[in-house]
Amino acid sequence: MNILHFAWLLGRPAKTRLAPQVLTVSAYALVSAVMLIVLGGAYSFTRFEAEAQGTYLPLAGFAVVLLIVPLMVLGSAAARLSARSNDRALSSLRLLGATGSQIRSVAILQASGTALVGALAGVLLYLACAPLASLISFQGSPIGTAIYLPVWVLVAAVFAVVGLSAISAAVGLRKLMITPLAVATRRSVPVPRWIRAAITVGSILVLSLLFTNLSQVAQSIAVVLIVILGGFGLGMLILNLVGPYLVSKVAQSKLKKAQTPQQLLAARMILENPAESWRQVSGVAMASFVAVIGGSGAAMMNATSAQEATNTWYDYLPADVLTGVLLTLAITFICVAASSAITQSASTLDNAELYSGLHRLGMDWGTMNAARVKSLMVPALAASIAFAIASTLLVLPLAGMAVIFSPLTVLTVIVAVLLGLVLVRISITVAEPARLLASRE
Amino acid sequence: MLENSFGHPPVLHAQNLYRSFGATTALNGVSLEISLGESLAIMGPSGSGKSTLLHALAGIELPDAGTLLLNLPGQPPLNVQELSDRARTKLRRGSFGFVFQSGLLIPELTAEENVAMSLMINGVPRAAAIAQADQALIALGLAGMEQRRMGQLSGGQMQRVAIARAQVTGAMVVFADEPTGALDSATGAEVLETLLDCTVGQGKSLVMVTHDPSVAAQCDRVVKLHDGQLISDSRRGTSVSGGDVR
Ligand SMILES: Nc1ncnc2c1ncn2[C@@H]1O[C@H](COP(=O)(O)OP(=O)(O)O)[C@@H](O)[C@H]1O
Ligand SMILES: [Mg+2]
Repeated sequence: MNILHFAWLLGRPAKTRLAPQVLTVSAYALVSAVMLIVLGGAYSFTRFEAEAQGTYLPLAGFAVVLLIVPLMVLGSAAARLSARSNDRALSSLRLLGATGSQIRSVAILQASGTALVGALAGVLLYLACAPLASLISFQGSPIGTAIYLPVWVLVAAVFAVVGLSAISAAVGLRKLMITPLAVATRRSVPVPRWIRAAITVGSILVLSLLFTNLSQVAQSIAVVLIVILGGFGLGMLILNLVGPYLVSKVAQSKLKKAQTPQQLLAARMILENPAESWRQVSGVAMASFVAVIGGSGAAMMNATSAQEATNTWYDYLPADVLTGVLLTLAITFICVAASSAITQSASTLDNAELYSGLHRLGMDWGTMNAARVKSLMVPALAASIAFAIASTLLVLPLAGMAVIFSPLTVLTVIVAVLLGLVLVRISITVAEPARLLASRE
Repeated sequence: MLENSFGHPPVLHAQNLYRSFGATTALNGVSLEISLGESLAIMGPSGSGKSTLLHALAGIELPDAGTLLLNLPGQPPLNVQELSDRARTKLRRGSFGFVFQSGLLIPELTAEENVAMSLMINGVPRAAAIAQADQALIALGLAGMEQRRMGQLSGGQMQRVAIARAQVTGAMVVFADEPTGALDSATGAEVLETLLDCTVGQGKSLVMVTHDPSVAAQCDRVVKLHDGQLISDSRRGTSVSGGDVR
């Protein structure tokens, strides 16, 4: 009862924490709605003939699995933000003698409550978007009313979002130290360099072997899928090992070249914690990877099937794979944008005193904001470009063929990635120090 | 305008400043003239409006009523309360220096970068800014610490970095809010000496909020605030009480 009461005190709507609360709730709503629409789309595949289902359902399952990572990142960012916006209250609870685990329960309960509100709003958002999503076409016909999931799925999804958010709140809180004096972020322990190097080199070898043999095994679509999925998994592993290194190298070169205050600040902000910088944009790298490999795959299938129409479900596969790739990109970028908005807002709130102080000293809000934006967009662009190049090299024969035989597909995918980056850039305007800190006073 | 003993009209001339926050009246008709080259201590109990006065004098926050005239050498006089937020921000970075209790140094930057930043936001190219910053740091006894991050400096060293930052732009008026408040008394005394050297020692004005009488005693002039009103104004050796000093 006591803990519930505290959770309500900290979590109830209040003017002073309106910005973070609205942000967190809308993030959960967004993710829930997106997840339901993907599930609805996947569910609609069950009306296809059995043979088609054998290909479509694993692909849809893959798309759903893809969602879980950004959802967890988003959930833990949201939990950290709500802990941050309540840092004083949490600290004073600690000062009043609440134990660490009581505080953690309060924070987790509060995060779950926020997630519940968000998930319910997400169900509404899903119902509102469903008519639009029902127009998306697979196997030559729009999804239609099949996008509407049975009620029990909606209920289960709400529970899943709340559960996942509670778990990620717990995980996120492990990274926070709540002492009687302050809430601070704990530094994570970096993976030793040699392990990182060994895994990277090993994975690159396996990946290149897989992809150089792709042309021989490409006869069977199932093998292609397994190779792509396996390649994707390994790719994710590599990019999480290489990413921080890449980000710090890029930031070091930016630091050398910096001329304006915002360039200097941005480079130093990235170098302060390259691993964290990377975590924020890793979704963008993942999107590049999906774009190149999925896009090439779709383009190649497109090129081969154009020659030999079989008048079966298979004729629709290339176009549907492209649709799937584009949807996956959209979802990934929406999640990255939402978690960037949240993480950046949390960091603005963290630095509230410093930012207001610098403004007193005569630094424009615009300069500070430009530094923040750069500190996110520089790694995002680096991730996007580097991983697009790397994955193109990995599937060079495939990508080369794609550009020659289906340039339009390739172009579509590139435009989708660019739009995604623009979306991320727009999303972080919510974290503008001038706006966020003014609303706090 | 009256010329004072320093041969220059007051660099800051505040008249009848009022400022309230809801039911609290933080400034209740404060008038004050600050001369070029003088050090002024603002004293008073906690909550008496010292910081609010400093913020008003420095154009950080506008008073609800009253006028503030800025008269910098070689520049036309300026009505601060008529300036836009943007223009006041520009004024602060170009013409004023600040040393606050918490230092407000950017933790991601090195000492020299923190100092150089105040030049860079005024448009000085990076290399020149860093060179000037290094000189300023060395002059304040921080040779060899130019590349250190804030976490690697002591409280006194950080305040010296803040002083270097306030000084390096050549600003003629430096505002300080409890600059020694977070330091032990020995370190505080050293920092205060440095601050005075870098301001009045170079013909600049220093406006400093402090609750420490021994700190105030080192200034040319001490004003006392109580409930948002000036209740005394004394120069070293003399004392004028009764509030309105013109
Ligand atoms: N931003 C603000 N919002 C509300 N009240 C404020 C604000 N700033 C100052 N005050 C109030 O104005 C009075 C004077 O504050 P301040 O100038 O900070 O005092 P001092 O620096 O002398 O301790 C205090 O009662 C304080 O609570
Ligand atoms: Mg004060």
